[in-house]
Amino acid sequence: MSFREKLLSGKFTVTAEISPPKGTDVSGMMKEARIIKDAVDAVCVTDNQRAIMRMSPLAACSALSQEGFETIMHLTCRDRNRLGLQSELLGAAHLGIKNLLVMSGDYPTKGDHRGAKPVYDLDSVQLLDTISSLNSGIDLSGNSLEGKTEFFSGAVSNTQLTEVALMKFGKKIKAGARFIITQAVFDAGRFSEFMDKIRDAGWKQTGIIAGIIPLRSEKSAQFLNKNIPGVKVPDDMIRRFASSSAPGALGIELAADLINELRGICHGVHIMPIGTHENTRKILEMAGL
Amino acid sequence: MIISRLKEFKDILKAVKEQNIFIIGCGKCATKQHVGGEPEVLEMKKRLRGSGKNVVGWTILSSACIISSWDEVLSQNPEIEKAEALLVMSCGGGVSVLSANVKQLVYPALDTESLGGVCRDEVVKEQCGMCGECDIHLFGGLCPVSHCPKGMQNGPCGGSVEGKCEVDERKCVWDEIQKRLELLGRLEVLKDIHEPKDHSKRRCRE
Repeated sequence: MSFREKLLSGKFTVTAEISPPKGTDVSGMMKEARIIKDAVDAVCVTDNQRAIMRMSPLAACSALSQEGFETIMHLTCRDRNRLGLQSELLGAAHLGIKNLLVMSGDYPTKGDHRGAKPVYDLDSVQLLDTISSLNSGIDLSGNSLEGKTEFFSGAVSNTQLTEVALMKFGKKIKAGARFIITQAVFDAGRFSEFMDKIRDAGWKQTGIIAGIIPLRSEKSAQFLNKNIPGVKVPDDMIRRFASSSAPGALGIELAADLINELRGICHGVHIMPIGTHENTRKILEMAGL
Repeated sequence: MIISRLKEFKDILKAVKEQNIFIIGCGKCATKQHVGGEPEVLEMKKRLRGSGKNVVGWTILSSACIISSWDEVLSQNPEIEKAEALLVMSCGGGVSVLSANVKQLVYPALDTESLGGVCRDEVVKEQCGMCGECDIHLFGGLCPVSHCPKGMQNGPCGGSVEGKCEVDERKCVWDEIQKRLELLGRLEVLKDIHEPKDHSKRRCRE
């Protein structure tokens, strides 16, 4: 069953993040992906994440799909204008990429090419709208396409939403986002409040997939709090890592427990490991997935 | 008002190869911001002389970007003829307009940053993105093209956390837009999806 079918049928989905290589050699990426093969419904392939230049997700998705992986291609608004984005999307459709995850993209000064021109010709809402248009066979200028796209698109969201952020969330749904992958969740209780907010706003048809970052140590938790906007590892969790004699095992256990709790709350989980997927399979097994 | 900042002196020195220099300041924006008024021009003169350059003269034009008669400027400042190069302490507009009038090479002493203003004696930066299709009323009078580093049209990006922008120390303008629209009783306009900007309006010369 495809990722789309599974999510639409209400089954709990599991996706995991994979980064394209910094270079031309995909063997490391393929090795990483093989660790989680058959344990996840799709691999989510990042687009110059944290504004660090890597191989294009289009090429990386193509390599992964040749080995039988279903992919979700990330697409940020940072690096391409509306011409570039649309031509990339037509190319992706031709190469058989079915799923997209749209986001604004971290600002260039956060990454390794600080002087790069920030594009942001479209924002994430406008890009989702553009994809909906390509799906109906028309480009952003109203021209007809020879062959339309059939993308299943999603967007991202923080779980702590201000009123204006909630309004943007609504615009993403209206513009065609069929699923939302959230920033990393650490507290199922607080995440439930986010789900209530979404439900109260009437967006019940959208699949909500909770982001999971399995922690490895006290240091990794502090790194996330300092460097990733929207991520907040609770202080008591940091203290547990600080006093633990086996932080690695604790991280696996906490992630598995959290996934177990989330199974009754949302529609899927998305694993974003720090470094490698070596523990992902174990976490999923412990969570009974 | 055009917002500019003074270049590093070492960079000015590196660029200016000529020996005989005439300095031009600007009586408008650069004076107001203390980057190209009389005190700054005199300081520049001192530093250039201290670095072995010959400053043949200096002046503060009332506006470096509005030159009604270059002949009049020349008659009031005959030393300009003796200069091999001009160092202009104004925004890029002033530097360009002067470059079109003079025979010598014109060097900029400032870097132009944004279009701003003065509010209760405080210089405010990045007030207008010069997009060529102003719809600031839809954002409670706060321009997202210039205030948001990503120019987001439909709400804050994921880098906006607890009112803070991910890019630098600035506040996220989207929280400010929300507050302003709430005060104006127009919060519902935030629900409208804004179309992409028409960039052909930005620099079109028709």
